[in-house]
Amino acid sequence: MAERPEDLNLPNAVITRIIKEALPDGVNVSKEARSAISRAASVFVLYATSCANNFAMKSKRKTLSAADVLAAMEEMEFDRFITPLKDALEAYKREQRGKKEASELKKKDKKPENEEHKSKEHEEDAEEVKMVEDEEQKEVENEEEDVEN
Amino acid sequence: MEDAESSVLPPVPVPVGSVGEDDHDQDQESRQSAQLDAEAETEAERPQQKLLRLPLSRIKGLIKADPEVTLASQEAVFAIGKATELFVEVIAKDAYTFALQAKRKTIQRKDLDHAVDAADEFAFLEGTLE
Repeated sequence: MAERPEDLNLPNAVITRIIKEALPDGVNVSKEARSAISRAASVFVLYATSCANNFAMKSKRKTLSAADVLAAMEEMEFDRFITPLKDALEAYKREQRGKKEASELKKKDKKPENEEHKSKEHEEDAEEVKMVEDEEQKEVENEEEDVEN
Repeated sequence: MEDAESSVLPPVPVPVGSVGEDDHDQDQESRQSAQLDAEAETEAERPQQKLLRLPLSRIKGLIKADPEVTLASQEAVFAIGKATELFVEVIAKDAYTFALQAKRKTIQRKDLDHAVDAADEFAFLEGTLE
């Protein structure tokens, strides 16, 4: 997948929202300042990635882990991020577990549900057939009347 | 002679699966509806309760731009995304203090430059914002 230059930028709307929520009401941010913050954020991602990757490589691992990212924060002198990051990670892991369980439950439900569904469908089909037959009967009767007329 | 009153009651429909599973089904339903409620809440008006506002896909794209990175776990991508959001908050707040000092309510580019100069941890940004 080729990375186009635009893709290395983070969405402006989201960056703006994060900035606004961090500041008191009534504070504005110029377009130039916003754009510079967005660029800074992209640079931050690249720098954090590189730093985290150094830790992974040191441990002879090829996959960046969350622990590598936390170690990188300390290295980058963003110690104040470590606690909120750990909290967010816990919440994220819980969310992922919840999603996984939900999708597994859906898979389990599908089997008995299909059997129930089939029998219901059969009933509905049977009813439909009956209705159609009734209508056809009426049509035939009407035709007969017309003929008679 | 048949006794009408001893007629057999019509069979009560039994749900597919054993009777013991009824409770389980109810738990499932309440869990699922609780989950839906939670999702609705997140999407509605609680942006700060959302775990991550930045899209994971864009973060992943930036991570992949590093030729030395082979693979990143989903948690690592999330962690970098979350750290980036924290970074944006911090640098915006720092820039704001300089705008305040200048008695302005609008943060300008120079406030940001000031913020970058004033903190060691922002040194990595020097020369990158041009």
